[in-house]
Amino acid sequence: LCRGGLAERLCRLQNRERSAISFWRHQCLSDDKIPSDKSGVLIVKILEIFEECTIQVATCQQLEQSPATLSPEDAVINAEEPILKVLFTRETAAHLKCRPQDVIHIYPPWQKLLLQNADVPVIMNTYFSQKVLLSEHSEAREKTYGLTKMLIKKNIISLAQTFRLDDVDAKLHQESSDNQVPCAPQTHNNSDSKRHPLALSAVNDSLLEMVESQGAVGWREVQVQVVIQRVYCLPAREGYRSHTQGNKPLCAAPVRNSDPPNVRLCLLVQDAYGMFSEVQLQSLSSTDDIEQFCRRWEGKSCCLAGMKVLQRTTRGRALALFSLIDSLWPPVVPVKVPGQSQDSEMMTTNLPPPSFCYILTVQSGEIHVEVDGEEQISNLYQPPAVHSLKEILRIDGCNERCSFWAQVLYQRLKTKHNVPMDQREMLLFVTDSTLQNVVHGIPKVVAVSVAASCVLSMEIIEALSAGSQLVFFKDALWGNGRIICVERTVLLLQKPLLCSAAGADLSELTGPVRLDELDSTTQANSICALRGTVVGVNESTAFSWPTCNRCGNGKLEVCPQDRELLYCNQCSEVVTTPVLKMQLEVFLSCPSLSQSTVKVKVWHEISTTLFVLLTMLLFLQTYEVQSVLGKEVGLLNCYVHSVTSHPNCAALEEIVLL
Amino acid sequence: STLPAVAEELLREIKMAFQETSQVPDDLLLGLKFIFGPCAVPALDLVDQRSVTRVRSPSGRILYQVLGSSGKLYTCYSSCHFCTCPAFGFSVLQKSESLLCKHILAVYLSQAMGACQELAVSEEQLTNILLAEEEDEG
Repeated sequence: LCRGGLAERLCRLQNRERSAISFWRHQCLSDDKIPSDKSGVLIVKILEIFEECTIQVATCQQLEQSPATLSPEDAVINAEEPILKVLFTRETAAHLKCRPQDVIHIYPPWQKLLLQNADVPVIMNTYFSQKVLLSEHSEAREKTYGLTKMLIKKNIISLAQTFRLDDVDAKLHQESSDNQVPCAPQTHNNSDSKRHPLALSAVNDSLLEMVESQGAVGWREVQVQVVIQRVYCLPAREGYRSHTQGNKPLCAAPVRNSDPPNVRLCLLVQDAYGMFSEVQLQSLSSTDDIEQFCRRWEGKSCCLAGMKVLQRTTRGRALALFSLIDSLWPPVVPVKVPGQSQDSEMMTTNLPPPSFCYILTVQSGEIHVEVDGEEQISNLYQPPAVHSLKEILRIDGCNERCSFWAQVLYQRLKTKHNVPMDQREMLLFVTDSTLQNVVHGIPKVVAVSVAASCVLSMEIIEALSAGSQLVFFKDALWGNGRIICVERTVLLLQKPLLCSAAGADLSELTGPVRLDELDSTTQANSICALRGTVVGVNESTAFSWPTCNRCGNGKLEVCPQDRELLYCNQCSEVVTTPVLKMQLEVFLSCPSLSQSTVKVKVWHEISTTLFVLLTMLLFLQTYEVQSVLGKEVGLLNCYVHSVTSHPNCAALEEIVLL
Repeated sequence: STLPAVAEELLREIKMAFQETSQVPDDLLLGLKFIFGPCAVPALDLVDQRSVTRVRSPSGRILYQVLGSSGKLYTCYSSCHFCTCPAFGFSVLQKSESLLCKHILAVYLSQAMGACQELAVSEEQLTNILLAEEEDEG
């Protein structure tokens, strides 16, 4: 930066301002009473709030005094109080979580700007703002607001309007802007469209017609009626090149956001002609519940407006998307054929499956997905066909989408623990009553691979860590003898409301879960049960260590005050009753796999009694291998690390099922 | 929409202040930061370095060329907001996250403070500049 230049000066001012803001915020946290010094403080009540290019523009009413000092009846909008437009940066707005009806105190230094043609003053530099809550109303309001308003409205700014810095008087200014030829779509008044969405234009029912007639500019005035077949999330890394006129992509790579995992809510919709389209909506935060969106939106009709075409993709380029589309083909009701007149309903069901699909996105941030909560489920909707795991294992094809309801017994991460959430891969071992009740021929437990592209909600991740769960796997992929969860697969905790459950048994498992016993057909990366006799101990691998009985922390330290005691720095407390954990590798002879040496890594806590003898011996540091040999072990649940045939050997690790 | 009017007024106040005092007061600089966010400091830097050139042809056609920090020359239109830099295509057109890119903001600030370099070219040369931009993109 140039010395003594404007840029350097602004940097200095900005740094000073930033420290002042963080200091002020810190102060606000520590004393939560309204400060008594009111000089220069603006008190405003937000009437409505929109976002324009990351700045939140709030139309507010200026209040004379804080409504906390008035009774609720007095806090009625007084028509004579002055109206202001207050601007907040995205960061301040996120801090405040502004909503209409909120009262905000804006502390100096703020700036007021009077615009030439408007009589509403604009307030800027509102970094030092604080929301004042009216305690009786705030909670209830936060809750209802959260449910109804899921989308932020944005205003599009026209590029045709340049800034005039000359000091012309108002009349001339207006005339010259009238003479300008509009070369970009007119800006759209958000509030009007919000009140009268259908007044925009007649509703069309063909996606293809709309895309082809309007081009890549966007169809802000036209609405298309479609049915929402599926709701799911896609990782935002799966970005698409955007279209501009002339097919020149402006952006070469998708954005890798530094925010928490960037996930976009998407819909797979189908129009009356049977044509599909994938609509990418807004980014979801980790707290948003995909399950709620699915329940509210799937199967309903909606009107799409304000959409823009991102891409036209084909079967060859988007196999995953088309495997989902294929699972929804043929349509359950006859569809219209383009070219036929609307009156004569010539419909056919012998159409070939689609070979292309448009990917759409919301152009301006306005989302006109008008879904009526009480509306009927459309006839065109095809709910997921739920099958039992036994049936799925017998499916003949490859890349078939399948849905099932299963109990998750065990979860294992395939990637390392420190890999970010959006790149983790895991294996879930699942079963249901159809697999458990079979004598032989099919496995009792199936491994479901969850790829990084399958978005899991926080709810599911927490539930799976907490214990064994019944999970509904919607639109998983079956192929090459394996079930995998990829993009567009959704894992849900609740039973689907509508599904065609032809052969499925959605009941809970009765009785304890049984695993297949270790034998010659056991493969690596599976789980099994085993029993056998100890024939050897790998002494070099034996060790034990104390862990905190509260949090499980394995790295306890010696207490400085008393060297006999142990200290856990995660709990910040002395550990009086540590849990002793132990690891040991034993060699077993298993009757079910008599040709092989079976090596099992055994983990044990002192409090379980399964392997008591060995446990006690190790703890007392007096064990002798001789006294352990020949002891019977079983039934242990294990994860199979590897099975090799030359030499014949199986390496397993004892596990605890969820 | 409010934001363009606010931006315009802010730039106008900067021009007036500069005309009266040959300086830009601190609060207007902070206002630039508030409205334009991350563009503000880079744009001011471009002004400090006199990177903006107003290119004019005999027929009265005008465009602006801004020498970016990488040494690359970007073209900004005068009749509408457009810049050939990738940030414009991304932040302004695609994501609607910004009103302007730093080059367009530098153009306005240079205009407000009389810091534009002037260049007179022939009609043909101006046309070539515009056409050359198109070829580069492809």
